[in-house]
Amino acid sequence: MTIKAVPDQSDTRVDAHRGMGEALAALHERQRRIHSIKVTVVWLGIVALLIGGLLLLKTDPSYMVAHYNIILQGAGATLGVSLASILIATILALFGAIARLSTNSLAQGISGVYVSVIRGTPLLIQIFLIYLGLPQIGQRLNEIGLPWLGRLFILDAIPAGILALSLNYGAYMTEIFRAGLQSIGYGQREAAIALGMTPMQVMRRIILPQAIRIIIPDVGNQFIAMQKDSALVSIMGVWEITFLAGRYARRDSKYIEMYLVAAAAYWILTIISSYFQDRIERRMGRAYER
Amino acid sequence: MSVEPLIRVQHLHKWFGMLHVLNDICLDVMQREVVCIIGRSGSGKSTLLRSLNFLEEPSAGIIEVDGLVIEAGGKGKLERGLVHALRLKTGMVFQEFNLFPHMTVLENVMEGPVIVKGMTKTAAREIAEANLDRVGLLFKEDEYPNRLSGGQKQRVAIARALAMEPRVMLFDEPTSALDPELIGEVLNVMKKLALEGTTMLIVTHEMGFAREVADRVAVMADGEIIEQGIPDELFRAPREPRTKALIEGYRSGVQDQKPETQRQRTRQRK
Repeated sequence: MTIKAVPDQSDTRVDAHRGMGEALAALHERQRRIHSIKVTVVWLGIVALLIGGLLLLKTDPSYMVAHYNIILQGAGATLGVSLASILIATILALFGAIARLSTNSLAQGISGVYVSVIRGTPLLIQIFLIYLGLPQIGQRLNEIGLPWLGRLFILDAIPAGILALSLNYGAYMTEIFRAGLQSIGYGQREAAIALGMTPMQVMRRIILPQAIRIIIPDVGNQFIAMQKDSALVSIMGVWEITFLAGRYARRDSKYIEMYLVAAAAYWILTIISSYFQDRIERRMGRAYER
Repeated sequence: MSVEPLIRVQHLHKWFGMLHVLNDICLDVMQREVVCIIGRSGSGKSTLLRSLNFLEEPSAGIIEVDGLVIEAGGKGKLERGLVHALRLKTGMVFQEFNLFPHMTVLENVMEGPVIVKGMTKTAAREIAEANLDRVGLLFKEDEYPNRLSGGQKQRVAIARALAMEPRVMLFDEPTSALDPELIGEVLNVMKKLALEGTTMLIVTHEMGFAREVADRVAVMADGEIIEQGIPDELFRAPREPRTKALIEGYRSGVQDQKPETQRQRTRQRK
């Protein structure tokens, strides 16, 4: 009898405690949901206030609605330029970072100058130099009888924009990649070396795969920033979002309307990019879950 | 068996800046021998071990492993191929395990055979699984290292080194980063390797293990090997006062709390 009484007692106690845990979990869940509802209300409130304010100040929402399609017309160029640039910038940054970390004095020197010069000058001026400055060199080369070489220096707006953005972001991302590569503990390198790997194998098989996981979120941030910096290529007449918005804005004197449409376009692009960035990050964290 | 030692270290020196970390070290290790190196932190024992596969480049001296001779600190550039060959003859186990976190347990162990030795995946997998079985972790082959306990990580690290089929295994304080209750499982695997006749050089603070498993214990202090001998004699009657102080320090401290298992000291040697 006594033997039976003991487990009975402990069983009920365990049940009581389990009930307590469930109640607490439910409470936390409810608090979390209430909090997110509150945050959403604040967001909606701000948007409503802004819209209300704009209507009071005699803006023309119907004009915005009528020309919303500049988003669709321009998004292709904006995204295309940004994607091509981030791709090239990533390659530049990878080589830049490896060069900065190498013991080779030539590689270290070249990458050092590259990062220093690009980070020390405005992107706008880099764009001017590439789009307007390089053709001047090209022309001179034509004159001295090297037309095949000269042709390389005269770039259309889109290639010039991609080149400028790639070079610019490549320099900033070199530093990001360098930090990522350096963040992998020295023990990883030693373990790989002790197995007999060459420096190249260590980089490719051990360091890079781990560093990429650290670098990816930052590359995502850079891509999001670049989508907006790509607005600068509008000055060369590339038909991207900002350029199209400006065209209508000047023609019909609808500045607030068109630039708000453009701003909304970038915002939407950013939200979409953030979503994908989040998904990639979660995928890459797989091996690190406990 | 050959009378030639498997490892022969002659007049090894290492300076870190102005610090003379290794001072004229000479050490022979025979085939199938288990040598434990003990000593206080900073006595140079890890540096000595890491010099043997050139993770630390010695400033001067000669290292010979299985017929391969490398002279350090000589004139001219160190030959890359020689160092590579040396690393293939030595397997290393680190204090911090250093498993590759982006690979599964099986991939960790296959990495060396596939990438360094150029084996096919099938052949490498066979070797990897055999060695994971040796350390009793075959059932974890598809896990990622982060899901393993410290002791399990270290056993995988041992399997990873064994998969390269080295002539000698180097252990650099293999249990120092482990919680006390996890130390036993790693020491048991090492003991098993010793019984199988693996040549091992072990830097450790585990005096009980050294006494039980080692064929020879070398004591280091201030960058020198101050004393070496058969563990029972050395622990019972140390000649050097510094050795005595070291052993007494362990005896009085909480360090030596490893549960005593049955003694299986004498291994037949042919």
